[in-house]
Amino acid sequence: MSGNPLDKRYAVLGAMLIAPTVLIFCAVIVYPLVSALYLSLFTIFTPTLRGSFIGLGNYAYLVNSPEFWRSLWNTLLWTVCTLTLQIVFGVAAALMLHQNIVFRSLARSLILFPYFVSTVVAVLVWRWLFNDLYGVMNHLMLMAGLIKMPLDWLGSMPNAMISIILVGAWKYFPFVVIAVLARLQTIPDALYEAAKIDGAGAWSRFVDITLPQLRDVLVVVVLLRAIWDFKEFDLIYLLTGGGPIIATQTLPLMVYKDAFGLNDMGRASAVAVSMMLVMLSFMVLYLKLAGRGERESQP
Amino acid sequence: MADVSFQKVRKAFGSAVAVKSLDLAIGSGEFVSLLGPSGCGKTTTLRMLAGLEFPTEGEIRIGDRVVNAVPPGQRDIAMVFQSYALYPHMSVGENIAYPLKKRGVGRAERDAKVASVAATLQLGALLDRKPRQLSGGQQQRVALGRALVRDPKVFLLDEPLSNLDAKLRAHMRAELIELHRKLGKTFIYVTHDQLEAMTMSDRIAVMHEGDLQQFGAPMQVYEKPANLFVAGFIGSPAMNLLPGMIESSGSGLAFVRQGLRLAVGAGGQAGQKVTIGVRPEDIALGSGPFVATVRIVEPTGHETIVMADIGGQSAIVRVQPDTAHVVGSETPFAVRTSRLHAFDSVTGARLDLAFAPPAS
Repeated sequence: MSGNPLDKRYAVLGAMLIAPTVLIFCAVIVYPLVSALYLSLFTIFTPTLRGSFIGLGNYAYLVNSPEFWRSLWNTLLWTVCTLTLQIVFGVAAALMLHQNIVFRSLARSLILFPYFVSTVVAVLVWRWLFNDLYGVMNHLMLMAGLIKMPLDWLGSMPNAMISIILVGAWKYFPFVVIAVLARLQTIPDALYEAAKIDGAGAWSRFVDITLPQLRDVLVVVVLLRAIWDFKEFDLIYLLTGGGPIIATQTLPLMVYKDAFGLNDMGRASAVAVSMMLVMLSFMVLYLKLAGRGERESQP
Repeated sequence: MADVSFQKVRKAFGSAVAVKSLDLAIGSGEFVSLLGPSGCGKTTTLRMLAGLEFPTEGEIRIGDRVVNAVPPGQRDIAMVFQSYALYPHMSVGENIAYPLKKRGVGRAERDAKVASVAATLQLGALLDRKPRQLSGGQQQRVALGRALVRDPKVFLLDEPLSNLDAKLRAHMRAELIELHRKLGKTFIYVTHDQLEAMTMSDRIAVMHEGDLQQFGAPMQVYEKPANLFVAGFIGSPAMNLLPGMIESSGSGLAFVRQGLRLAVGAGGQAGQKVTIGVRPEDIALGSGPFVATVRIVEPTGHETIVMADIGGQSAIVRVQPDTAHVVGSETPFAVRTSRLHAFDSVTGARLDLAFAPPAS
């Protein structure tokens, strides 16, 4: 930097302008992160927050704990399945809403409804729909002759896992719809017209034009939703509470149970840190894919 | 034999009529421009021929086949879009090969054809690039390549040069003329730029408000505009249109308006409202029976454009660059009566009036 006093004043101004962001970042991200890492090295009684240092003891316990591995498996299963459904139905709905259908604007607003509804409300509604004694689902399926006995949707496996996956897909597919629809509207009509003249049928136009054009937005949507689904707590907790036993318990539920059910903040922190490591791999994948996209766009 | 023909073709979008009742027959191997201001129906006409829009009424033929219900991909046409419409995620080579791929042409034959087209258009070095890595002129050539590779019966071009800068446009114009000569195929070219239409076409179809105004060779359209619209639209600077009246004058008739009186040798009748058209190059400033006031002088180098007041109306005159004209001065002028055009002021139709040379 030169000795120009104006330069110095600008530099000070710049530092002052970014200071609030840096402080908030430290307070809400760096501090909790560091303290989670720190806490995970202790065995801590939650109500008093007192405990003793045990080094990597919590991690050693987790590696040997079938519950941890089961929860990790549940988390991955739930994330992969619900995300797949969200993408498939999200893209399909977006394609449909992009057509000139009747009541298009109404349909576009209605489809966002699940995303707007508070999770608590949505789950209460679904619990009634799934109810094994009074639920509409059982009633309709019995009437249609699909089942002979009422099903226990949330209290037995694999029904409970299937139920949370379906409700998760229903709740979050509108996010995919919004993102994909926004991108669809920017694809020039001329590309489809050129393809028609070049002899491409409807399926060819979808595969050769729509999908490649959606690629970038789908990469972002998949990674964002993967991270969010991986962390999902309220929907699963309210729907099944992780049950039956731990059959639908995901890692966020395990963190909650360890921290506030079993009052072991240290072990809960260790689970949270492990979750972070898994998500970090999502992050690396994301940066790699994003980086590849950027390289491709350079001459 | 006509290669492309429109018979009483009408196209309406709801209550808006884009093309009224078009009859047009385009010969095999012809280069025809559809020319007109925006909203005249020229692009709709082309899109109907491409199969991207369907006529509300009438019949479109390509060769001897009625194509009204034939999908675009089976019409044996290729189209170059104004925006080029190159597939952004495909390389240049893949873009050019795409129409062949969709028609099930084998890989080896595809590669050979792409290579040959790329050689014609000097795209050989660019085949692996993506469209966004190309300049406007190169993208334009890729779009042409994608049309060429199929060897279609008819080429449709929708204002393909309008996104290029002036220099490149002149260059591509020459390349298109050359390409048309080499291929000998039918080209149908939509443009609002009369320079492009005049320089490239065998025939020009001038359109206005959904109607075909005139269909003829460029010089025919220029020399004998069929009506007031064509007269005002073709030519740059535009033809001067001076409304007036035919009056009896001694033993004969004369066209009269403020500041102008021209003896009519043949045609016309007294009391008829007539608009005469005179091209900027057909007014001679400096000497003559009439007087004009010079308003604006615009030297462009190879010529000078003078805006002058003739009987209360401003007219454009094209003069040699070496003549000096003082703004505000009055100057005598003459018109070349042999090159005057006359139109009915009410219907706009061309009139067969002969003007007598001025008695000098």
